[in-house]
Amino acid sequence: MLPDTNLTKRTIKILIPLAALIAVMCLCAFIGTEKISLKKVLEGPAQIAGDNIDYEILIGVRIPRIILAALIGIALATAGAVLQAVLRNPLAEPYILGISSGAGLGVITAILSGLSFSFWAGSTITLFAFAGSIFTVWLVWLIGYFAGRFHVTTLLLAGVVVNAFFSAVIMFLTSIAKSRQLRATILWLMGNITEKSADVLWFSGISILAGVFCLFTLAHKLNALSLGDNEAKGLGVNTTKTKMAAFALTAFITAVAVSLSGLIGFVGLIVPHAVRLIVGPDHRQLLPISALTGAIFLVIADTIARSIFGQEQLPVGVITAIAGGPFFLILLAKYSRKISWVK
Amino acid sequence: MNNIINVKKLSFTFSNQNEILKDLDFAVEKGDFLAIAGPNGAGKTTLLNLLCAVLKPKAGSIEIDAKPIQAYSAKALAQKIAVVRQEFIPVFDFSVEQVVSMGRSPYLGAFGLENENDKELVRDALNATDTTKFAERSLANLSAGERQRVFIARAIAQDTPVLLLDEPTSFLDLKHQVKIYDLLKKMQNEKNKTIISVTHDINLAAQYCENVLLIAADAGYLYGSTKQVFSTQKIEQFFSVKTYVHKIGSENIFIPLGLLAKDRDRIDSQAEKDL
Repeated sequence: MLPDTNLTKRTIKILIPLAALIAVMCLCAFIGTEKISLKKVLEGPAQIAGDNIDYEILIGVRIPRIILAALIGIALATAGAVLQAVLRNPLAEPYILGISSGAGLGVITAILSGLSFSFWAGSTITLFAFAGSIFTVWLVWLIGYFAGRFHVTTLLLAGVVVNAFFSAVIMFLTSIAKSRQLRATILWLMGNITEKSADVLWFSGISILAGVFCLFTLAHKLNALSLGDNEAKGLGVNTTKTKMAAFALTAFITAVAVSLSGLIGFVGLIVPHAVRLIVGPDHRQLLPISALTGAIFLVIADTIARSIFGQEQLPVGVITAIAGGPFFLILLAKYSRKISWVK
Repeated sequence: MNNIINVKKLSFTFSNQNEILKDLDFAVEKGDFLAIAGPNGAGKTTLLNLLCAVLKPKAGSIEIDAKPIQAYSAKALAQKIAVVRQEFIPVFDFSVEQVVSMGRSPYLGAFGLENENDKELVRDALNATDTTKFAERSLANLSAGERQRVFIARAIAQDTPVLLLDEPTSFLDLKHQVKIYDLLKKMQNEKNKTIISVTHDINLAAQYCENVLLIAADAGYLYGSTKQVFSTQKIEQFFSVKTYVHKIGSENIFIPLGLLAKDRDRIDSQAEKDL
């Protein structure tokens, strides 16, 4: 046996999904309602704007959107994997700490109060969504902290209660909203990726990748934490500090993702699960591979969402839910059969 | 001074309850095998949690290697003391090797990658505990005794001078109880580890340990060699139960007999004989 076979195996396991992601992104750039010819794209930008439409669509519209989808996929899948470890609950997902309802409340407030206008790096909707989700996470922490000093159960319960309450407020506000405002809100709640400016892309890209990178450095501590607090302490993990860091970072990257695209369900739940079934629960592999797989999944889902019905675009959240549900069931069936065979 | 653990005037109370531990004084020598015994609720596991800094003392002090326990970071303390709690099945499907590798986490850098030395210690720990043959298997598919050995392997991979165990044999059959204690004794003899085991099994403790800390339900305690502590009178007083006592070699064995036990009358006749 070579001394570094483990490391080589690990590297290969990460390189395969990375190569797959790049291939999927390239392929999806050429799929869409407008046919794009590679030959025309390679001619480069035309002298007069609008002469080489193929190039402009690819560079100006499709590639930024694909990168955006990949970033959101990375954020949601990583956040899901981390929260499942910290909360020691395989059903945890990025929205469990109240991020979804908080962001939803922020957005609906922006739309209803007529504050939804655009400025340099996007719209007030983005800003309100971000503020709403961060505020709610902080509120959930506060309740969780005072009720039980960061016990897993109290945090989960606090998240559920705050989510339920804010959802009720959202329902109340939608029921009194005018129908024109309603469509924007509903599309947002369903999860909808749209084209964003280069500034937004840079800002969110750097934020998400930095957050994900910091989470990668917690990977081996998450292994210990998923055995429980006392076990982790015995293995030299400062549990309070690690949990705080994990929650803060997942809240941040999820809030950025949510403010970009609304609530895209299933990615954060399914992707880490599927990856865990294939590569095992070691977070040093699980986190990077989940991130890449999440990106692949969302790029494909968004490509379907924008091209399946011609000009009429579907919210991507619909695709992830429709594809994700059955996929999850298949995995679950296969997984439980595997267990019963071994026993 | 060869004491690796020094406990002075240690007291502990859970909020709004009676004192569980009061003015506990004892020292553990390097390379010693200590049993902590006592009735349910006497505070054995509480003491174990104090010794690994999961709980903070209400009063008094604990010193590890002549340094107060509070002065250690979580990481530094995990390089001194490895804890084996009662075996369990983790939420996620970790393999035996992955769990044992976690023993190296107090030594890993930011990205948590093991070096050659870490891997060798993990291999050694698997070999020492006879768990290499199921290294690839999931913990869920092992028996309780095998799982307990895996957690001990993890503690050995942690490469600490002190091993702390919480009832390592409580769910095991006779053969596996003995196997665990043989393994611990081997670690003490071969690697000069200090071993502290919280246990209900005073007979096994008498056979394997040098010293005993007996804690009473009323916060009293007794510390000494197995021969001093495990006497009929003291066992019956601390556990408030009548026992049939027999001697093998130089150590006593105790068989508790209740009022309705078949051979209860033997205890009474034994008592008369002793008088």
